[in-house]
Amino acid sequence: MKIQYSYLKNFLNTNLSQKKLSDVFTQVGFECEIEGSLIEFDITPNRGDALSLRGLEREFNAHQLKKPSQKLQTSSLKLIQDKKIINHIDGSGCGNYHLMPVKGLKGIKNLDSKKRSFIESAGIPLINPLVDLGNYVMLEIGAPMHVFDLDKLSLPINVRFPQEKHNAVTVIGGDVKDVQSSSLTIQDQSGIQAIAGIIGSEASSVSSKTSSIAVEAAFFRPEVTVNQARKYGLATDASHRFERGVDPELQQTALERYLFLLDQIAEYDSVELYYSYSHKTKKKNVKLDVARFNKFSGLSLKASKAILILKNLGFKVHTRSEKNVTFNIPSHRFDISMEEDLYEELLRSYGYDNIPISKPKAGPIVNNKQNNALDNLRLGLVHSGFKELMHMPFVSRDSFHQLNSNNWKPAELHNPINENEPLLRGSLFRSLFAAVNSNVKKGYTSIKIFEAGNVFKKEKSGFNQSFHLSGMIYYHEPQQTWSQKELIYDFFSLKGEISKLLHTLGMQNIEFQKTSSLMPFNENALDIFIGKQKIAVIGEIELSVTEKLVKKQAYGFVIYPEKISLASINPKIVKTSKFPLSTRDINVVLDKSISYEEVERSISQGAIKHLVSFNLINTFEGKDIPKGSVSMTLRFTFQSNTKSLLESEINRSMQMTLNLLEKRLNAKIRS
Amino acid sequence: MQIPQDLIETAALKLKSVQSEAEFFQLRAQYLGKKSFVVTAFSKLRDLQSDEKVNAAKELNLLKNNLTKLFEISLEDIEGQGDHKKLDVTLPADPFLVGSEHPITKISQKIINYFTPLNYQIFSGNEIETDFYNFEALNFPENHPARQMHDTFYLNSSSKSEYLLRTHTSNTQVHAMLDEDLPLYMLSPGRVFRCDSDTTHLPMFTQIEGLVVDEDVTFGDLKGVLIDFLEYFFNEKMEVRFRPSYFPFTEPSAEVDIKFGKQGWLEILGCGMVHPNVLNGCNIDTKKFRGFAFGMGVERLAMLYYGVTDIREFYSSNLDFLNQFPS
Repeated sequence: MKIQYSYLKNFLNTNLSQKKLSDVFTQVGFECEIEGSLIEFDITPNRGDALSLRGLEREFNAHQLKKPSQKLQTSSLKLIQDKKIINHIDGSGCGNYHLMPVKGLKGIKNLDSKKRSFIESAGIPLINPLVDLGNYVMLEIGAPMHVFDLDKLSLPINVRFPQEKHNAVTVIGGDVKDVQSSSLTIQDQSGIQAIAGIIGSEASSVSSKTSSIAVEAAFFRPEVTVNQARKYGLATDASHRFERGVDPELQQTALERYLFLLDQIAEYDSVELYYSYSHKTKKKNVKLDVARFNKFSGLSLKASKAILILKNLGFKVHTRSEKNVTFNIPSHRFDISMEEDLYEELLRSYGYDNIPISKPKAGPIVNNKQNNALDNLRLGLVHSGFKELMHMPFVSRDSFHQLNSNNWKPAELHNPINENEPLLRGSLFRSLFAAVNSNVKKGYTSIKIFEAGNVFKKEKSGFNQSFHLSGMIYYHEPQQTWSQKELIYDFFSLKGEISKLLHTLGMQNIEFQKTSSLMPFNENALDIFIGKQKIAVIGEIELSVTEKLVKKQAYGFVIYPEKISLASINPKIVKTSKFPLSTRDINVVLDKSISYEEVERSISQGAIKHLVSFNLINTFEGKDIPKGSVSMTLRFTFQSNTKSLLESEINRSMQMTLNLLEKRLNAKIRS
Repeated sequence: MQIPQDLIETAALKLKSVQSEAEFFQLRAQYLGKKSFVVTAFSKLRDLQSDEKVNAAKELNLLKNNLTKLFEISLEDIEGQGDHKKLDVTLPADPFLVGSEHPITKISQKIINYFTPLNYQIFSGNEIETDFYNFEALNFPENHPARQMHDTFYLNSSSKSEYLLRTHTSNTQVHAMLDEDLPLYMLSPGRVFRCDSDTTHLPMFTQIEGLVVDEDVTFGDLKGVLIDFLEYFFNEKMEVRFRPSYFPFTEPSAEVDIKFGKQGWLEILGCGMVHPNVLNGCNIDTKKFRGFAFGMGVERLAMLYYGVTDIREFYSSNLDFLNQFPS
């Protein structure tokens, strides 16, 4: 809500500067921003009562310890109940309905320039003096009003929900709205004349020819007005107030104030004030236990001081006992319903900044259930030269289906920001591809990146989120050094990098298996398991799923940190051998269809005596090797815990190994 | 023929004290050169009887081999020490890439690091949530205008409950209050979503919220921990002000501003005493327990901390931008 500083200053009868005045309001909970000659108030949704000069004045006076404000001048009228004017109001949506017919208007003048400029600077356009006056009273005291052309109404009025599901209504401004049966409406004998609390119909609107009017002031319940204006794309100043709540006892005063001001700009023949109410709002009482308040706040406020503060805010003492004071809540403070609400009022007045602070307290010691795998993996990657990136999770249908299998059902947004990206990601790779692309375009040639975040899936009932840590390695051109050293990043560099990371974090027993879940990898990919738990997949990126964002061979990985528990790794330490290691190399020729994994498995299952480890140190194809075969040089390391091994013992173990390879894999020993 | 028994031992001893290559070759000549015992002894073999000759030759060969091996090993040591290629050590290093954590990760971690020593447990929670945990349990009744403060993304779903992307991490607090033992000291860091996008708002951002439910916690406790945290975070004495505000899940509610250089007062976090409706809804005895809660936007803190002016940079994958953050 924007208010002219000069107008507000006069209304509040204060000399405070614009800055000081803004500070005062900010300090009591109405955040202000200065915009030229205006102050913009950010009124929180619970304080609809403050959306007027009068509302701000109440707060100002209370906190400045000034006397409550004078009553505004009004022209008082007698209330009349007449079914021929207001026939029926629906109590579920409307608390009271007031209608003030003014007949025979003559010599209508504009409002004075101060009021006009005040209305305009609040962001409300000037339309017609009779309408402007209604808007002025709304800004002044907070009750929204509507002005009908009385000659265009066929009374009586009914306030009700339409019987038809859909009703076409041309509203002020000429737009046709499909008014639904869930919207409370004001109807005369010819149909809908207004959507309650939002806008009137074009048909009954006032014009320069209007000579009789019916001014409406009503209490529409927030429950029936909220979200209605949005639905019709008609957020108005009136709807904003009704949604937040309007003082249900203000309507008569508002109309009498309108009439008082109307006298200054026009003449008329007659005026009457009709009303109907569904049921009177009950006076609310709320109890305050000052001792409990002091415990809650850390203050030691006396009951007398608490009473003084609340009285200033318009609360009246209803009853008082030794322990409690019960307050009568004024009708405009519909936000107050429980004791804690009074605490807030007391603290607001006392000043939050004046509440003494205590030293930070610690909670009880608890077993940390938090899985720290993610933090450790992230640091490991950072130390290997990876940059962490973050992206929005919204993706297009195409890129979703490129990266997710058919049985991965997407989580789809009902109201996406960008219609082209209505799905939540099922993979982090789309963003990584785009990141590679944009940075290569910028001139980067070596890129190592990763992202950690949730991916989403729709399930039979509800949705599933799982946490992924995905990364990519991309070299747009081979790395060169001035010393001509070869630095090639390939699948095995990736395998080494991820193995090192997992081993460094204490995962000794990882197993690689050819993968069954490919995307976004081509067939050169591996699953990584710990026991039966799949903890990661690594592989070469299948370039056809990158939507041309990645043009050259790239490598990637997905790690599932939720599947890794580092806390449980607690190794049993054994005594180490003090005897030397002995190594032996052999060359074996194998059929190329045999994978290295089979070689490894055969040897590992052989239970070779004294064998500590073995590894592949060379492979060779070509000269002297039969077609379809490959020669492997394997290095074996032997050691005993109890003695230095004799040549003959080592030879025996080597022979066993060779026999094993010959028998199981049909290996030939190459001299 | 007499072969001195200690020849190897004395040679080894002398080799130990060799200081330079020149000394080494001098010593080698002495033991294996033309005039050495071994070489002269070989030339004397021809004077011996044939059976004696075979034995002596065997012994001499062993001796010569051992001596040669001894000097070879020793030479390796000496060369290894002194002989190297001179490098231009100012030439560039092999290429390397420098990694770093994302600034949002770093700032989140910095915040968490303050609270973990105070035994706040960390809960990350669900990003897709039901209406109940995101709104209803947090005292946002249906059709309450406070819901309009949160532009919510809804998900298409055929199931009965309404699913949405959480608009704050308070949903995690509801889960924790329902599931965990009291007293509860917790932080809920994570991503949140609002259907809103312009130069200062993103549809996704990062929040860290804190919640304490304990006996006798006061508004003064809340103020104390937040002021202390802010001073830790910015590593200086801070001017902090608390002013009344409104959140449906706290009563009273406050915004916290800090005085930040020339920019004046800046809103930095929201907080309040947990609304009794929220505690009651989570089956917490409000006669015994009270709570306070606070929440902050990590991007906003990161922008202030690093002087970043455009929030979109954080999600732009721009390596030029990210290279500026040390690890």
